[in-house]
Amino acid sequence: MANLTLIDKFYKKFCENPGKMLIHTGVIGWIMSSAAQIFAIAINDKIPKEQKMFMVPQEFADACVNILSFYAVTRTFTSFADKMVKCGKLIQKPTKKWLIKNGYENLLGKTKFDISKIKLPAAQRRSHELFKDGVDLTAATVGGIISCNIITPVIRNLYASKRQKQGIAYLNKKYPKKSQISDKQYHNVSMADFQTRAYSLSSGLKI
Amino acid sequence: MAIPGINSVHNFARSTIYKLVDAMPAVTINSKKLSDSIKWAGQHISSPQNRLILGATALMSQPFIDLNNKRVDEETRKTSAARTVAKIIAGTTTGFFVRYYCIKAIEAFTKDPKTLKEGEKYKSVLYPKNILRVTKKGLKHHKMALGTVISLGVMMFTNFLIDAPLTKILTNKFVAKIKENDAKKSKGVSDG
Repeated sequence: MANLTLIDKFYKKFCENPGKMLIHTGVIGWIMSSAAQIFAIAINDKIPKEQKMFMVPQEFADACVNILSFYAVTRTFTSFADKMVKCGKLIQKPTKKWLIKNGYENLLGKTKFDISKIKLPAAQRRSHELFKDGVDLTAATVGGIISCNIITPVIRNLYASKRQKQGIAYLNKKYPKKSQISDKQYHNVSMADFQTRAYSLSSGLKI
Repeated sequence: MAIPGINSVHNFARSTIYKLVDAMPAVTINSKKLSDSIKWAGQHISSPQNRLILGATALMSQPFIDLNNKRVDEETRKTSAARTVAKIIAGTTTGFFVRYYCIKAIEAFTKDPKTLKEGEKYKSVLYPKNILRVTKKGLKHHKMALGTVISLGVMMFTNFLIDAPLTKILTNKFVAKIKENDAKKSKGVSDG
């Protein structure tokens, strides 16, 4: 047998299941992307310090939550969809017809049952494989949308808001003489605050 | 080496999925049109298109989640939403092109040597030549895995050289626009 090259070894390792590698590369990708974004926020001199105190933890949390929600949500979605198709709970009509005709009716839909291990006719097999690929992709996309675009932004904002409050409290403690930065600067303003700001900012205000 | 903690989490997840599948009603796809659409998606939507779908849906959800984050002041909310939009645009555009061209490059260099002419052997540099039986599916997975590794390497540079600076430029543009609109609004209020 010829000596295997790096490419041959790569094929042997991932020809069956490239998914195991996609997980690790995905995680590395998120970490790298967040590092670049944190760098972009840090070098952006047009973003005030107190806003950076929100955005840096926001970006950091984005990577962490993305990784966690990927495992918890996207993977659950894909594994669930995969199992549904494998055991025949989610099935195309012609495949079901063939399985019933050939005596698999009682096994159909049982979690231990695996259609891919049945000797289906070539056309049926091909059709089932294509169907499975499509369901896998749909599940991964839907899972990805839910985890990356809904769960992650909500959780990362919760974490970042908390960190910003802590950062502002620290700054106010460290520089008590300077004008105090308030985390409620633009909302929940008290009447006294509002009057002070209105008087100091508006020269044309007639009272 | 077996890691008991991870194994028990894995087993728990697996048994939960089995229970979920057991609890689900059986679904038979009777419509040929629906069945064909699912198959089409599996065949034609790959990593670059997937990145576009995630980017488009991110634009529809993430900025609104940022704008409704009442835990921070309005200014931070707006800057954060502007940066999120900038990041999605920069990340999706770069991500799409990097993935697309990496896949194209891999396709070009994973040709079966038997199908190539004498001067074209370089087109099979990424083909597993010493494997006795290269299956169609195996080769597809091989290309996918190679594509992921190569795009990860490319993105190591593009993240810092394109994504981050582009996000910064777009964020500043969007923030300037927001400030301009706010100034117009407040001027309108004081004039009125």
